[in-house]
Amino acid sequence: MSCNALASDAASRERLRQLLPREEDAAARERLAELVETACSNRPPTSSLSRLWILGSLQAKVAGAYLAWWLKSRWADADEKERTRNETHLKAALELLGTMGYLRGAVMKVGQMLTLPEMVPEQYARLLSSLSFEAPPMHYAMVREVFYDEFGREPEEMFASFEKRAFAAASLGQVHRARLHSGEQVAVKIQYPGIARTIQSDLKNLRLLLQPMRVGDDWPNLLDKLAEIESVLLAETDYLKEAEVARAVRGHFPPEYGIVVPKVHDGYSSRRVLTTEHLEGVHIDEFLASDPSQEVRDHYTHLMTVATMRLLYRMHWLLADPNPGNYIFMPNGRLGLVDFGCTRVLTDEEWQLQCEAEAAAFQKDDKEMERIIVKASLYESAQEMGKKRVELVGRVIRWQLEPWLVEGLFDFGDSDFFHRGIDALREATKTGYLRGMPLHIWTTRFVLGARAVVYRLRGRCHFKEIYLQESVPPKASHADDAEKTDTRGSI
Amino acid sequence: MRITEQAKQQCRARILEKASELFCARGFDQTTTRDIALAAGVAAGTMFNYFPSKETMAMTMVSDALAAGEEEFRGRTGGELAEDLFGFIASGLRKLRPLRPFLGPVLERSLSPFPRKNVCPVGEAARQRHLDFMQQILASHGFSSAPDYVATTIYWSLYLGVLAFWTSDFSPNQEASQALVDYSVRTFVHIISGSAGGDGGEHVL
Repeated sequence: MSCNALASDAASRERLRQLLPREEDAAARERLAELVETACSNRPPTSSLSRLWILGSLQAKVAGAYLAWWLKSRWADADEKERTRNETHLKAALELLGTMGYLRGAVMKVGQMLTLPEMVPEQYARLLSSLSFEAPPMHYAMVREVFYDEFGREPEEMFASFEKRAFAAASLGQVHRARLHSGEQVAVKIQYPGIARTIQSDLKNLRLLLQPMRVGDDWPNLLDKLAEIESVLLAETDYLKEAEVARAVRGHFPPEYGIVVPKVHDGYSSRRVLTTEHLEGVHIDEFLASDPSQEVRDHYTHLMTVATMRLLYRMHWLLADPNPGNYIFMPNGRLGLVDFGCTRVLTDEEWQLQCEAEAAAFQKDDKEMERIIVKASLYESAQEMGKKRVELVGRVIRWQLEPWLVEGLFDFGDSDFFHRGIDALREATKTGYLRGMPLHIWTTRFVLGARAVVYRLRGRCHFKEIYLQESVPPKASHADDAEKTDTRGSI
Repeated sequence: MRITEQAKQQCRARILEKASELFCARGFDQTTTRDIALAAGVAAGTMFNYFPSKETMAMTMVSDALAAGEEEFRGRTGGELAEDLFGFIASGLRKLRPLRPFLGPVLERSLSPFPRKNVCPVGEAARQRHLDFMQQILASHGFSSAPDYVATTIYWSLYLGVLAFWTSDFSPNQEASQALVDYSVRTFVHIISGSAGGDGGEHVL
């Protein structure tokens, strides 16, 4: 008698191969593809979970550390021996990840966050995020248990209909389609059991495992960053907080703007379950496959820019973990914004520094910019920081601010612009210039994540015009005199 | 005067109820049979007619809860094997939840797989019933022959491991235990399905 055959994941493997970095030379790329493929093919979705699961937590620690190390060392000037060793570590990391089930998402996130601020190219980021979505879905019996614990009822009692199979993976959970008794279609996000505890214990252990990797003076800073990551990730495990953010964001986008933030259904939401309006539309891959005109691409780029600017300037809020899945291309040219789990609100002091950086850029005040670079990098003086580091970190910051300074249409699809930023970040990583305010984990992710999306869109928008409009406090938003704002830099 | 069957049942239920309250409040080891008889308003001798020991009382509660969980689960079969096993175990744990504060020592004594001088008959019956139903689930998924002692022992070891973890699981709603149950049943399904990784091979049983 036959077991239920597990479907071959050939398509998924092929997709992973497509995502591998193309800029590597052919042989390196082939070797990397082989490693990833081997790791993936050893990972049937159900039965692999049994292997070594008892050691799951340990695997998580090891894999997280190796992954972080590997990603960092890719950029170092490695000799052949070191490259081989790194490859072995990557292989170990991928294989271990394959046995980690629900934990994979959490561990991948930590790996990404440790490395992304010190940035990897878009292709690597896509590869990583793709792997992180390979977590096996919870079966319905487990979903039912979560509902019992959260609401004392099962999904079928609460909803008019509830699809037992998840239609999408989410951060630390999965999403199901359902219909309310009122007839409204909703998306129900459900969190994997026990994920919050795992994050805490794994980060604790990761600190220990990272010890041998520490590099002199920057070690305390790395610990601060880990603490920052832990607090944001833990906040992400509380869906009630996410509901609060979503409601606040929604308040900033009246329907006429064409930006849609799904409504939260409170009666159907809890710490581990979040029910929101279901938005009809497609993700970026499907959108691009329809070969949209430049006009349509520009339209969506405009909306994305308005959305991020409005959140930044009105709420001082960053989408800390932006990915293409956060954007829904809806009918009639509307843009859907979903998933507000991983967010970071700037403190007053951080906001002040952001405003000062903008002002310095507008006024082309190099001295002031240098002061800001030194401050953001947590040094006392430019002398202490060193000329090369000031120059390199300055290049990154100036690149981040570049669209603010361009009059007229800004082309985010410009390959030269995009790669200039990536190159600057990569060089900073290569030289080990990693010290900085923990906030910069998120600002870098925010800027790069959002720019990677509009780069793929090959979209353009009147960035500066949008900035002028959105940086005005809400009450004065219809006023002609944009200079009423006291928060942005003088232009 | 002969007491009616209904009165007997009521008395039995009252003893269990008071015992449960005392076990939860004071702990299993700190509660005496005398305390229970006093609280239930029955003579100690009468109480022993119903339950020969404190352990039997506790295991009766466990057995009743597991039976209720099994009953509830019967209406929900039909998923994949791992899902059905998960549902069966989770349903029992949910019914056991009110007893959780005092269950650790009780389960350790009554369900221990190690050889013991005094086997608790109620515990043994609960174990057998649980394993019988597990086999019914396997049968409904095409495992026609009864699992041999290796498979049964592996299952029971995993199940006891889950129970041990669950009794001291301080995560909200014991959600860490839910994850453990899931991984445990997947492990078990993997073992009995052969090591070919679910590529459509034959069952080994």
